[in-house]
Amino acid sequence: MPENVTSPFGDFDKLSGEMYRHWEKAMTDWWDQILDDPNFLGAVGKNLEVGVRARGSYQKSVDETLERMHLPTRSDLTRLAKIASLLEDRLLSMEDTLLEMNDKLESVERESIKARIESTETRLELRERLASLEARLEALESKPAAPRRARRKTPAKKDSA
Amino acid sequence: MSNPALDIASRAAGVAKFLSSEPVRKAKLGQTPHAVIHRDRQARLRWFAPAEPRHTPLFISMPLINTWTVFDLMPGRSVVAALLEAGVPVYLLDWGSAGPEDADLTLGRVIDGTLKRALLRAKRHARATYGAEAIDALGYCVGGSFLSVCLSRYPELARRMALLAAPVDFHASGRLATWADPETFPLDAIVDNLGNFPGSLMKTSFSWLKPGGQTGKWWGLWERFEKPGFPELWATMEAWSAAPTEFPGECYREYVRQCYFNNALVDGGWVLDGRPVDLKQGTIPALAIAAGGDHICTPEAAFGLERAWGGPVETVTLRGGHVGVCIGQSLPKALIAWAEAGG
Repeated sequence: MPENVTSPFGDFDKLSGEMYRHWEKAMTDWWDQILDDPNFLGAVGKNLEVGVRARGSYQKSVDETLERMHLPTRSDLTRLAKIASLLEDRLLSMEDTLLEMNDKLESVERESIKARIESTETRLELRERLASLEARLEALESKPAAPRRARRKTPAKKDSA
Repeated sequence: MSNPALDIASRAAGVAKFLSSEPVRKAKLGQTPHAVIHRDRQARLRWFAPAEPRHTPLFISMPLINTWTVFDLMPGRSVVAALLEAGVPVYLLDWGSAGPEDADLTLGRVIDGTLKRALLRAKRHARATYGAEAIDALGYCVGGSFLSVCLSRYPELARRMALLAAPVDFHASGRLATWADPETFPLDAIVDNLGNFPGSLMKTSFSWLKPGGQTGKWWGLWERFEKPGFPELWATMEAWSAAPTEFPGECYREYVRQCYFNNALVDGGWVLDGRPVDLKQGTIPALAIAAGGDHICTPEAAFGLERAWGGPVETVTLRGGHVGVCIGQSLPKALIAWAEAGG
């Protein structure tokens, strides 16, 4: 008995617990010899095989009887359930495809958003540069024109050819 | 001074009163709030959301032989609730119970179909909800064996993998390996005649693995009846073990043939849906958790992952048996430590 359990039974509990454990050990040892014995296992296997074959034959005969009576059999119901399961499988495959497509779309969408952001940023940059150029141009235009120097005519070079 | 005879009579009356109140029928399992976000035949992907997500979401692949509620038995005994409290979002794949229409469901369809699809759905949901780019994956028992096959084929589906009491070296599985002998186990006769492998047969087989377990459970109730909370836990465990699930027949045939008869996860030579099963192709970091007293998946069977897996493998042994490890405190602690290590 575990130490943390308080019991009003005192020694009687301890004694009965020990007796039980001795009995359990003896039983387990005895069963261990049986349950690992290949002859015993062979016999159990044969017995199980006969049992399941009998169950299978019984089920088959019940199905045949019901069929003769034009009543739905277990196999009929199983067949219907199987059709429903196959439909469910197809739906799941379609769901898989849809989710994959969704993933691809999301990825394309992400890429496209990224591209749009990049292009917008470039356009903004260009606009800023344009604005600064315009400002410089305006500044240049607003300055009073500088007096022009008198141009001196230079003689045209003669073609050496 | 107390009279031992009266004390025994009083305890016996208490136990009788407790059992007559139908505690097993009234036990409520799987109480942690969650939502089903995906369905595939009988399988359900259950999403458990923490109040404050702090860690990478965890996908859990449960076994196909019992209900998922062993991870959410009752308040205070829930792996899922402990993970939520630590801030780990949980996506749990509950395989459900196969119907007669699922008898021809192949293992290829289960691993490359249901399991892979559930991982993808969980990953997608985690990305949309938590902004998580990757998820971690945990597989329990046969759900772990299947998860290792799936992640060796599609390593991009998870960042890390943990296997809890999941056999990899099946020939080291103790008595189960002895029983699963092609000479004595009528595998084909069972699947051909019954369709699915019945949950009742699975339950009987497991109870005979440890013959003392059936009497031990009643003795345990008698001995610990006065321990606060124990009768409720006992009834909840009974309710859980009373509801085994049906294993899809064709899937079971291939699973037993390849894993138990041929030990193909270690020895190789298994071609699943036209593609070889090779755990060496699994490169993500893995953690193999074994239960020290496990008689269904021995630590040697679980640690076979070290030899078979392609990536780095760590091993941990926890206290408890195959099911007991799920209701103790050491598993949540180990999983939370693993989650914290992963960020």
